[in-house]
Amino acid sequence: MRTLLLLAALVAVAAATENFVGHQVLRIVPGSDEELQKVKELQDLEHLQLDFWLSPRGTGDPIDIRVPFPSLQPLKAHLEANGVPYSIMIEDVQALVDHEQMQMLRRRRFTPRSTDAFDYASYHNLEEIYAFIDLLVAENPNLVSKLEIGQSTENRPIYVLKFSKGGTNRPAIWIDTGIHSREWVTQASGVWFAKKIVQEKDEGLASILDQMDIFLEIVTNPDGFAFTHTSNRLWRKTRSKRSGSFCVGVDPNRNWDAGFGGSGASSNPCSETYHGPSANSEPEVKAIVDFVKSHGNIKAFISIHSYSQLLLYPYGYTTASVPDKEELHQVAKEAVAALSSLYGTQYKYGSIITTIYQASGGTIDWTYNEGIKYSFTFELRDTGRYGFLLPASQIIPTAQETWLALEVIMQHTLDHPY
Amino acid sequence: MTELPPTHSQATRAAALAAAYIRYRHGSPGRGLVLRAVHRARRQDIDGVGHKYHLELVLEDIFGKDSTVNCTAEVLYHLGNKISAPDVQFTIEGELKNTDEADNICYNRIKSLKKELEAENIPDSFGNVSPEMEPIRVLAWVASGYVVWQNSTENTKYQLAQIKHVKQVKRSDEYLEFDYTILLHENVSQEIIPWQMTVLWHPQHGVEVTQNSPQPKHALD
Repeated sequence: MRTLLLLAALVAVAAATENFVGHQVLRIVPGSDEELQKVKELQDLEHLQLDFWLSPRGTGDPIDIRVPFPSLQPLKAHLEANGVPYSIMIEDVQALVDHEQMQMLRRRRFTPRSTDAFDYASYHNLEEIYAFIDLLVAENPNLVSKLEIGQSTENRPIYVLKFSKGGTNRPAIWIDTGIHSREWVTQASGVWFAKKIVQEKDEGLASILDQMDIFLEIVTNPDGFAFTHTSNRLWRKTRSKRSGSFCVGVDPNRNWDAGFGGSGASSNPCSETYHGPSANSEPEVKAIVDFVKSHGNIKAFISIHSYSQLLLYPYGYTTASVPDKEELHQVAKEAVAALSSLYGTQYKYGSIITTIYQASGGTIDWTYNEGIKYSFTFELRDTGRYGFLLPASQIIPTAQETWLALEVIMQHTLDHPY
Repeated sequence: MTELPPTHSQATRAAALAAAYIRYRHGSPGRGLVLRAVHRARRQDIDGVGHKYHLELVLEDIFGKDSTVNCTAEVLYHLGNKISAPDVQFTIEGELKNTDEADNICYNRIKSLKKELEAENIPDSFGNVSPEMEPIRVLAWVASGYVVWQNSTENTKYQLAQIKHVKQVKRSDEYLEFDYTILLHENVSQEIIPWQMTVLWHPQHGVEVTQNSPQPKHALD
């Protein structure tokens, strides 16, 4: 008892600590009644401020004690002097608390609890976007569903969001973003579009959804997208590998079966516009082809890229005009005017081949030839000042203005059934 | 002489080249001229010489809100165009805003640094450029105009995609010198091309690229 009083005196001056810096958690497994009794007596010493996480029970039952820093030395000396063995379970309680808090913060970043809490003005990685998709579906089960249309080369699932108010195989609008992985403003805009659609605040969209479905593929090239986060921010292609070349990936916008392999694509696997060994060789492309063919009722197809601020219609692989050129040109003109009306962003429009370059095996050339008359490609902001590395502050303005153009195209599609 | 729609790819490529050249000739950390619009474009095929584009352009200064300037330019791509850089002639209508003050502030700030400046990835993956690095970035963009001009053909359209690395080189004279490794994005082939360039700058003497060469691509895959 005298030694205990002495012990108490040693720590009497110790101030109460607010945090746990230097605190340790000791474990004592009493091997005898004597040892057990010695530890029980410690509970009476309030000045030590011992915090028993596991209280003394019987011999052989572990006793865990959080010991504030000022009490450590005296307590250990006391246990040793009385022949009570102990081990240190936690060397520094504060360090553990800090680490956990960091984990929690990180977890909070990955998983906002609702799509209202999601940060639309930031760039997100694949995990975060896929989590967003699940949240959106969970929040809007009557409007939104998630379809897995295939798997990428690296076995990532490829998801498409379906927005539908009902019916069976209604005429549909298709929108895809992120087919070229480095074009980050496009996937970010896709996320914003998804939220915009479920908010259903404008009448135009409501009337479109009354009669048509919308399909939205936000991350069209998930392998490439993951690679832009982990290794090379400026990666464009897929991540398919083939024997005989060190180079990786196929340009998914040269891999479609429209003028495949012709001028306007490269046969060199190391090139950024490598068309691949054959049309639809890339699972990311094949997944969409299969989906479009089996759906059979898609009436507008919009594939979104960046940068250059352009709205383009087919063809890219040939200088021949599409039969519907006049109408597509007019729709593009109206869509661009709507886009500009918001922030004054200037867009140009025209066919792919005259406005940018000859490109074979392109997405909207194939969709147009499949009979989807309203086939368009966007090149979003900017015109080269930041290029692919567009500041996140421009995500929402870009998405907002682009949405106005999309609504023009969707409305025109609704008003001109074919 | 053929009239081209201003949205035609040939017009926009020639315009981008002219703008890059003008940016180089008139640019500084305090003035970044960017192409705003193409008003008119005509193409002239000169037998035995090459293709000449006559352009009416609108440029704007990234530092001047809504301050645009009209200019005319002639871009001549030589036949067998790998031999020499295109010829560019231009006339700016009116006067460009004076940037002496901004340039001098920037110059003095860098001159007064205790250690030579060094940085990477400007902008970063998220498009961020710190305020201290903004003039360094504009300088690279101005200087890249020279590289773009020297390497352009009718079938290319270059933009500066990113500064991978920049290191200030100590000098005993009044010039500031920077060794840049930049990434150029070529819009037709879609290639990302690493390029080294040594850039000299002095507010009174303008921007000069004294050395430049393409770099081998990393095997990052």
